[in-house]
Amino acid sequence: MAAPDIDGRTGGPAVSPVTGSAVSPVTGPVTVLEHTGSRAVTEVEADAGQQVFPGHYPGFPIFPGVCVVECVHLGAQAAPPVPGVRLDLVAVQSTRFQSPVLPGDTVRSEADWAADGDGWIHRAKVRTTRGPAAQVRLRYRVVEDR
Amino acid sequence: MTTVENEDRMIALTAATAALGLADIKRVLPHRYPMLLVDRVTDLVPGVGLTAYKAVTANEPWYRDLADDADPAYPRTLLVESWCQAAGVLVAWAEPNPDVLSGQVMLFGGMADIEFSAPVLPGDVLEHRVRLMRALSDTVLFEGESLVGGEPVLRVGRVVMAMRPAEELSPHDRQSR
Repeated sequence: MAAPDIDGRTGGPAVSPVTGSAVSPVTGPVTVLEHTGSRAVTEVEADAGQQVFPGHYPGFPIFPGVCVVECVHLGAQAAPPVPGVRLDLVAVQSTRFQSPVLPGDTVRSEADWAADGDGWIHRAKVRTTRGPAAQVRLRYRVVEDR
Repeated sequence: MTTVENEDRMIALTAATAALGLADIKRVLPHRYPMLLVDRVTDLVPGVGLTAYKAVTANEPWYRDLADDADPAYPRTLLVESWCQAAGVLVAWAEPNPDVLSGQVMLFGGMADIEFSAPVLPGDVLEHRVRLMRALSDTVLFEGESLVGGEPVLRVGRVVMAMRPAEELSPHDRQSR
């Protein structure tokens, strides 16, 4: 599904900025490659300029595991299960890290949404070009607008 | 280990309780600014648990470009990272290795049943409580919680840390991947 990106162009994947709109260790942006029904495929570049790399670790940059989870979280917010819904992360139900993410990698999250009571489960398989990087299952509650 | 056994062990080891300042923490963790997210450790009992503190401030780099009217809640992923680093101090205290290029390095293997409650805001001081559940030869399991002003903000059901030879992550190995 083609949607306008941040520059208002159409025809390419939707790109959502992160910086400025939320406090995040990952500077984004998030690219939504697929968002149909319950399926969401998103990408974030773990480029060498990501602000976490100088401290994790000096001289030996590895994208922190929690930042891989953050990429999934940012993807979930950019491709919600219901248009316009506001989601609050309430649980990391499970995460298994399979291989490190390194500077220059593209963190691709292939996820599906499933309703769970009054919330939603976001179940993602994370890949880089080298193969599987993590499996992540997050739970959200819906934030009611006042 | 049962809770009772854990408490017995805690009592037996009380004399060994340690408190760590930032310099001590930097001796055992490889993390540095802006990803060193533990400020102080108290009540460290090797092999059992510890309490750690981290002050959250709007001067952390994640706040740099935040819009004035945006939600200032601290990222929940960094809350988990800070808690995990406190767990890392407990593991590394016995065999410190702040050099990630040699020896055994600690990797974040996974986590389960992590629940968040109230948001954490700039000005809050996180109190992480870390308990070692089980230590195998190359894997350590933790549980615990984090509080702000005595109120829970995070419950950690299980965090898995794996000790691996540094060569598995070496730059040479990276090039071959």
